[in-house]
Amino acid sequence: MNQNLDFLAIGPVVAASLGVVAVLMAEVTLGLGRRVWGWLAGLALVAATALSGLQWALHRGPDAETFFSGMIVVDGFSSFAGMVVFPLAGLGLMSGWRLLASQGRRGAEFVALVLLAAAGAHLMAAGGNLIMLFIGLEVFSISLYVLAGFTRERVDADEAALKYFLLGAFASAVFLYGVALVFAATGSLDIYGPGGIADFLSSTILFKEGVLLAGVALLLVGMGFKVSAAPFHVWSPDVYQGSPTGITGFLAGSAKVAGFAVLARVLTVALGDSIADWAPAVAALAALSVVLGTLLAIAQTDLKRMLAYSSVAHAGFIMTALVAGQGGIGDMWFYVATYAVQVIAAFTVAGVVSGDAAGASPLTAYAGLGRRAPGLAAVLALMMLSMGGIPLTAGFAGKVAVFRAAVDADYLWLVILALVAAVAGLFFYLRVVVIMYMQPSEGEEPAHPGAGWGARLVLVAASAVTLAFGIAPWPLLDVVRDALPL
Amino acid sequence: MPADFPILTTIVLLPVAGALAVLVLPRRRPELVLPVAIAASVLTLGGAGWLLWEFQTGEAGFQFVEKVTWYEPWGAGYHVGVDGISLLLVVLTAFLFPIALLASTAITDRIRQYAAAMLMLEAGILGVFVSLDLLVFFVFWEAMLVPMYFIIGIWGGSRRVYAAVKFFLYTALGSALMFAGILALAFLASDQLGRPTFDFVELLGIDLTRTAQFWLFAGFGLSFAIKVPLFPFHTWLPDAHVEAPTAGSVILAGVLLKLGAYGLLRFNLTLFPEASVGLVPVMAVLAVIGIIYGAVVAIVQSDVKRLVAYSSVSHLGFVVLGIFALTAQGLQGGVIQMVNHGLTTGALFLLVGMIYERRHTREISEFGGLGSVMPLYAGAFLFVAFASIGLPGLNGFVGEFLVLVGTYLSLPWYAVAAAFGVLLAAVYLLWAYQRMFTGPITVPANRDLPDLSFREAWVLIPMAAMILFLGIYPKPALDRIEPSVDVILQRIEQVTDYRVPEFGITEAGR
Repeated sequence: MNQNLDFLAIGPVVAASLGVVAVLMAEVTLGLGRRVWGWLAGLALVAATALSGLQWALHRGPDAETFFSGMIVVDGFSSFAGMVVFPLAGLGLMSGWRLLASQGRRGAEFVALVLLAAAGAHLMAAGGNLIMLFIGLEVFSISLYVLAGFTRERVDADEAALKYFLLGAFASAVFLYGVALVFAATGSLDIYGPGGIADFLSSTILFKEGVLLAGVALLLVGMGFKVSAAPFHVWSPDVYQGSPTGITGFLAGSAKVAGFAVLARVLTVALGDSIADWAPAVAALAALSVVLGTLLAIAQTDLKRMLAYSSVAHAGFIMTALVAGQGGIGDMWFYVATYAVQVIAAFTVAGVVSGDAAGASPLTAYAGLGRRAPGLAAVLALMMLSMGGIPLTAGFAGKVAVFRAAVDADYLWLVILALVAAVAGLFFYLRVVVIMYMQPSEGEEPAHPGAGWGARLVLVAASAVTLAFGIAPWPLLDVVRDALPL
Repeated sequence: MPADFPILTTIVLLPVAGALAVLVLPRRRPELVLPVAIAASVLTLGGAGWLLWEFQTGEAGFQFVEKVTWYEPWGAGYHVGVDGISLLLVVLTAFLFPIALLASTAITDRIRQYAAAMLMLEAGILGVFVSLDLLVFFVFWEAMLVPMYFIIGIWGGSRRVYAAVKFFLYTALGSALMFAGILALAFLASDQLGRPTFDFVELLGIDLTRTAQFWLFAGFGLSFAIKVPLFPFHTWLPDAHVEAPTAGSVILAGVLLKLGAYGLLRFNLTLFPEASVGLVPVMAVLAVIGIIYGAVVAIVQSDVKRLVAYSSVSHLGFVVLGIFALTAQGLQGGVIQMVNHGLTTGALFLLVGMIYERRHTREISEFGGLGSVMPLYAGAFLFVAFASIGLPGLNGFVGEFLVLVGTYLSLPWYAVAAAFGVLLAAVYLLWAYQRMFTGPITVPANRDLPDLSFREAWVLIPMAAMILFLGIYPKPALDRIEPSVDVILQRIEQVTDYRVPEFGITEAGR
């Protein structure tokens, strides 16, 4: 196979990794302060985003290619993922800036871990080989395990990190087992190229599909865990609630982006020919996720737990696009990219209201926020309406996109179920709005410091994205139509 | 103004501009808020007036059409236009909003947000009436819920949060199924046309199987039935109407409920004609139950605002009955009754709001003999009540008469049953009037209530003028409705074997 060595193919990952090294060096050897870490990280992320943009310009559509013996794919899919993941990491850093500032010198590790997670996430979208995907998954996940327990002093953060780590490691093992079974069935780990999985499956009739199907099932389970789809979601409320609020948004948003990138490439490309085998399973997971996520979110009294269950429901909504196979990938990207931004913004507000290092964020703390902090309340209300799928927000456009894809693929029952769940979901999104605007604060005003500049920037950017792509989603829809795998 | 001036977009965007203007007003000058908001809504009314002036009476198709394709792969685009039916409702909306805002002086808390929410609501409602693209229609339909939700939930009565959430969830549930229907319709269209489309006019051209029509009718119909509200989907209405602030109730009863009936007329009848003809008995039965049930429940209310709220259920039953009578007279009556109900019930809610501002109660038993202390107010109340009952010479008569005549042609027994609704309306309204305004003053607190103020009088005078005008001379309105209604009936006759009955032609003589 053509090795096709090209620096540009790994450019974004290298840029982010160089950022990691630079930040750590700056802290350990040079003893430079936070301001420098910030600039270095920002530089690395801008470079990585720019390189992804360059890949987008050169390699999307018919110009897509594989590099490094098929290990790395550069196509519209991976470069779009880069253009989402790296800015998302930037938002995550800004949202968590006050948290990392409170951690003294350890803050440098925080910056480095976020960059590393972004690099891993990009590898998950760009891997052209199942082992490569697994390596990306591990780089990404291990960084997040550490970030989840970053405030070591708090017991529930430790608990969150430990839970995340144990269950996550288990899910990684399941994924790896799935990789092994797929290898056993097809004789290849490469997705592309002659003799690759896709090629093998399209040119061969399997008489005994059992091993392949078992492998596919295990891959689904492993990634279902990462994107917190029901019934593999049980970790998410505890982890979301326990982790320091400053980082929960990035944790939630990037996991969705990266997890769905892997799912989309593996399912629609490597296993694209057996769509009839996996689409019903994905539809079942989607149905279960929207129903369970919505019902459980209704019962929550803590904003972070509620958002955790709502993220389960959103995993289901995104999966409704996947049942359409290749036809739904653009819609999936639209949804997942805008959702990731919304979820970061929502957790940023939670961080300002309840403290960045704190875990819990009870809904009672939001009573009267509409009067106390009109700006924060307005952003959170916008995010709630968007997640609820109210028109003129990006959340609505995303729902139209994924549902349209599913209707085209003849999954009308799934769409109706998801729509009903979306209405039930409005109940808890509206409750946040009710509490903020229609209930007076109880007792003395809970004091919270105003939002820092980083948080402000995140909130402004997220609101702009949510409104702009809500009112005129067409430019982004045009872009994601090219964000397809090779 | 040039002929191709995008007047419809302008009327939809004017209130939005007003809302933004209100929000950037200086915080220290709250007294400026209402005048600015009223100015914006009066400008919108001016636009609607121009529309009325330029509208070509007698033409059946859509006028002032604007059409842009936004996103080819989805078939999503912007398509607006009005025919005689939506024209009247646009004018009604633009007419009621300045009045509702003028009646909002009791609101002092967060007045800027309130005025902005009202104006956004106006934009949403106007958008629904002018959209000819189902996706755009749905966007307006859903987006309109948000300001109404805030108006009820923040500025409403004591159980406002409950009422607001109930209102929102009821409506959202209905629209979820409608949205599934819209997507399915676009998908079926892409099968037949080779590309998806949400354009209403293009969707009229596709063939739907009988089964598909029934399911789609159910999906759309449920959403509209909740909005109307048709019995048994009406339970959100009393709560929302009673808890909403006065202006909110006026808009809710005056325009929001019409959206449901308008949707049935515009989309269900034309897109799913076969299902419409087949489901006439179901819709007519529900409508008649609504007429009688709403009236009976209104009789026993002790809260006058609740009484008016239930009277809406009854009156809207007439509208739906007229629509599903599927006769020219019935449809015309249904449309004109929408306008009439907007005027009379809007005026009733205004009157109830005025007495509430004075006494902070709406219990009928708390009043009595008010006629001697507030003669003008009592006179206005009686006038509007007569219009609502359907006294000849006032507007209510025109609509109900046409509906009953139209229904008698196709569904005679339903007309007989519905006629009792007119009788019951006299019972609940006149009895309420008797208890509140006649006899001696029973409660000392009522002894020196002030009569209508200058501002209140000016809130009511335009309403009363329109009530009288449409009662005496409804021809201008009917002239505009008639061609549009005929188009709908012609379409039904073309695609189904239903024949519209007319006077002098009986079933046997056909």
